[in-house]
Amino acid sequence: MSDVNGTYDVCIIGGGITGTALAYSLCKLGETSVAVFEKSYLSSGSTGRCGGGIRQQWSTKNNVRLAMRSVKLFENFEEDVGMDIEYYQGGYLMLSYDEEEAEQFEKNVEIQREEGLDVEILTPKQVSERYPYINTQDLIVATFCQTDGHANPHKAVIGYAQAAKRMGADIYTHTEVLGVDVENGKVVGIQTTRGYFKCNVVVNASGPWSRQVAELAGVELPTESYRHQIFVTEPLENFFPMMAISFAGNFYMRQAHHGQFIMGQGDKDEKPGINYNVTFKFEKELAEKMVGIFPFLKNLRIMRHWSGMYNMSPDAQPIIGQSDKVKGYFYAVGYSGHGFMVAPAVSEALSELIVFGKTLHTDVSYLNVDRFSNEDVEKEKNVV
Amino acid sequence: MVNEGPTEKKHVKALVIGAGPAGLCGAIAIAESIGDGKQILVVDEGIVPGGQLPKQTHKFFGHEGFYASVRGFEIGEKLVSKATDLGVQFSMQTTVAGIYEDSIVTYDRNNNSVDEYTADYLLIATGASERFLVFRNNTLPGVYGAGAVQTLMNQYKVMPGESFLIVGAGNIGLIVAYQLLQAGANVKAIVEASSKIGGYMVHANKIMRLGVPIMLNHTIVSALGEERVQGAIVARVDEHFKPIPGTEKEFVVDTICLAVGLQPSVELVAQTGAEIKYISELGGYVPIRDENMKTTADNVYIAGDLSGIEEASTAMIEGYIAGYNIAQKITGQDLSEKISTMKDELIEFRKGPFASKVREGLKKMNILFPSGGYRERTQQSTGPNGKLRAVIECPQAIPCNPCETSCPTGAINVGKNINSIPYVDYDKCIGCGVCVMKCPGLAIFLLQEKEDYSIVGIPYEFLPIPENGTIVKLFDKDGRYVADGQIDKVSVNRKEKTHLVFLRVPKGMENIVRHFDLAINSEEYVCRCEEVSRQDVEKVIDSGITDYEEIRRILRIGMGPCGGKTCRNVVLQIIAEKTKIPISESKLGAFRPPVIPLPIDAIVKSRKGVDKDE
Repeated sequence: MSDVNGTYDVCIIGGGITGTALAYSLCKLGETSVAVFEKSYLSSGSTGRCGGGIRQQWSTKNNVRLAMRSVKLFENFEEDVGMDIEYYQGGYLMLSYDEEEAEQFEKNVEIQREEGLDVEILTPKQVSERYPYINTQDLIVATFCQTDGHANPHKAVIGYAQAAKRMGADIYTHTEVLGVDVENGKVVGIQTTRGYFKCNVVVNASGPWSRQVAELAGVELPTESYRHQIFVTEPLENFFPMMAISFAGNFYMRQAHHGQFIMGQGDKDEKPGINYNVTFKFEKELAEKMVGIFPFLKNLRIMRHWSGMYNMSPDAQPIIGQSDKVKGYFYAVGYSGHGFMVAPAVSEALSELIVFGKTLHTDVSYLNVDRFSNEDVEKEKNVV
Repeated sequence: MVNEGPTEKKHVKALVIGAGPAGLCGAIAIAESIGDGKQILVVDEGIVPGGQLPKQTHKFFGHEGFYASVRGFEIGEKLVSKATDLGVQFSMQTTVAGIYEDSIVTYDRNNNSVDEYTADYLLIATGASERFLVFRNNTLPGVYGAGAVQTLMNQYKVMPGESFLIVGAGNIGLIVAYQLLQAGANVKAIVEASSKIGGYMVHANKIMRLGVPIMLNHTIVSALGEERVQGAIVARVDEHFKPIPGTEKEFVVDTICLAVGLQPSVELVAQTGAEIKYISELGGYVPIRDENMKTTADNVYIAGDLSGIEEASTAMIEGYIAGYNIAQKITGQDLSEKISTMKDELIEFRKGPFASKVREGLKKMNILFPSGGYRERTQQSTGPNGKLRAVIECPQAIPCNPCETSCPTGAINVGKNINSIPYVDYDKCIGCGVCVMKCPGLAIFLLQEKEDYSIVGIPYEFLPIPENGTIVKLFDKDGRYVADGQIDKVSVNRKEKTHLVFLRVPKGMENIVRHFDLAINSEEYVCRCEEVSRQDVEKVIDSGITDYEEIRRILRIGMGPCGGKTCRNVVLQIIAEKTKIPISESKLGAFRPPVIPLPIDAIVKSRKGVDKDE
């Protein structure tokens, strides 16, 4: 290679929450020969466009553990990473409007409680007593976990990036990775719009572009990206502390730090592919539904509307690990819409895998891509 | 799959966004060509159509084909009635909230309702928004943009204050100053950061002879006051437009009027996917378009200030060009003759020195306009002594010729090139004064030397109309008192409201007197919605974060009700200043719909056929 611009132990592709949190975690472990490559600006992909929720109420034991570890790290974020990211543990109120789902909720709570998570089961009456501004019509049951919450995703990325930089990592924004150089089944470098960088480890943290970035190294990942839209209202004084979410009802909503309400829903008809346009159909459908459940919204105005990508895996759970084909090629992708909330724990685990060859805090082996070669894929049920 | 549920969208052949001169002329061109105005919908935020025209009480420049010498609000009325006669549909007090992937969404403020449209062709003529200026205490009540002052004063007949400081000596600042003086306000000064007056000299002369100083190389550094504006501090600036310490001056004013330029309103056109480019000569970010006003997006046309900051005549011509092109596509008929006539008009209007920026800007899109071919020398002779005659004090080549076309004896010559400076043939001039009352720049005077005194006839647009014989004070071009004089007589012009007042002045002062009596007797916020100061922005940039989108997400710049219309460019400017990366190379950031806050209940109301019991 004639033009080698630098040499790093670890080159991370993607300046979202995973990439920057991983750079931070690696530096914390003493691995400071790290660079993050972001083709646009930091958090320009899925992180900066997400709803910012952080929850632990999952349907499998492993996912609950991973999320609980993440919350631990979020709780210490300001002290450890050095940035106020508007983290607020106002809880997650999960609303069920479906008999079958309601039963599942009770099973989930059992699993969650076994892991030591404090979760309440609320009747519709209890919900309307506690939250008189919610219309509980058709509600069957709700669960609530006070230690769930939300934060400002963009600030989290900036916090991680700045902390990593202070410890010696390099962050290259507006720098696209064009190729991953593999020799004898091992990663040796990457080609970017800012030249060639030698490295031993490449991490694919490219969110919506995960499959294409994997192909750069000849690695196959079973991910697809789907557009999800969000709109945000003008602010009200803060009175709505929790994230309200419903899978059967297909919505989520929270009041952000500055008082504005952020909300979204999924669209089953969405086709795979990168698409950052927005549709008015979304505004109409969501506005109507949400005014029914949260009547106070009818007096608010919509300020902004945008879209982001869910990088979906076949079982709606992240894909984390090292390629068995290309040595030194790691990935943390396919978060299926909940990457922000688990990224601190995933990045910690991934940094341990890279540095020590094994995880110390949270087992993520169940998230290896191998699982898709099995016939039975256990799908995470708690996803909007 | 995409269009599930009842179809609620209305379809039009052409949707015109903006009912200013460009949009109106575009709609007229389409309607007269396809013969069915009902297929054309003009959507506009204003209460009455006309864009900026209804607030303009001054007479416009240009030639009579485009309403020269007619006052702005009357031009608006004429265009609107023309469009209405052709059947064009109007939806007023309605904002296009966004051009979404699946529809064009309008919000009707009057009915608090939302509608969805699809259109075969879009003519976007959203005009421009005012540039914003960052100085201490700029959030104090009493700080206005010039547009707001005009709206309040000229449309709603409300005076925003009594004594004014105006920032900016472009045409808008000069015109607003004159209108304020007409309305009886006290204009203390106009400050202008650059070393020359940006607007037409004839506009500047109108207010200088009324005694308003135009302070070049000066800017405002602070508004003063606790609850509202009670004063302003201005200072001289160096060559980098930075205030020089020790040069501060204080003005006691209750209102500060900002007229620091316009920037094209590109939000909606950007949402169509049309390519946007930074071309400073055209006012900032503008859509890329061809000479037929077509953008890079299919079936999306633009006209007027959106395509580059200019003025009403060229906006009208661009509107026609865009309109005829759209009509040509809709009908399949050949309108090339009409289009090329309009293009020739544009060439004529853009030949002069004031169009040099527009020419330079358009060159960057490979659209070329020739310059020159006009007379730049002013006439030296003021004609034969003793004869009642016109003198024209029109020192700059501007595209305007009503003096020539109104003269009943053919004594005034501008010539084929409308930019030429007019000359008077004193053999033909009979001193009738028609040109004095027609000239939009109020730049023509009548002179006559008599035995004991001289007569000076001046154009006059103030109230009350003076009585014959009244003793008055006389002032020179710069508003300095020079002598006492007397009203000789007044020709009242009831129709056009520019009266002709004849003054008796001391002999030898006929070329000096140009006005009489009328004694003209904290924090710097970048984003006012979210209260983000310049310091906040600079701090973030200093920490190494230089992308507009990142700064936006950290500071909430542009996340308030204005959606970034005021602050986006200011932030980009600060980024450019601090990073030394030219604004044209920095990333512009996303234009997220809706461009105005959209009431949720209006959206819900628009969902027809879906009834939820509530």
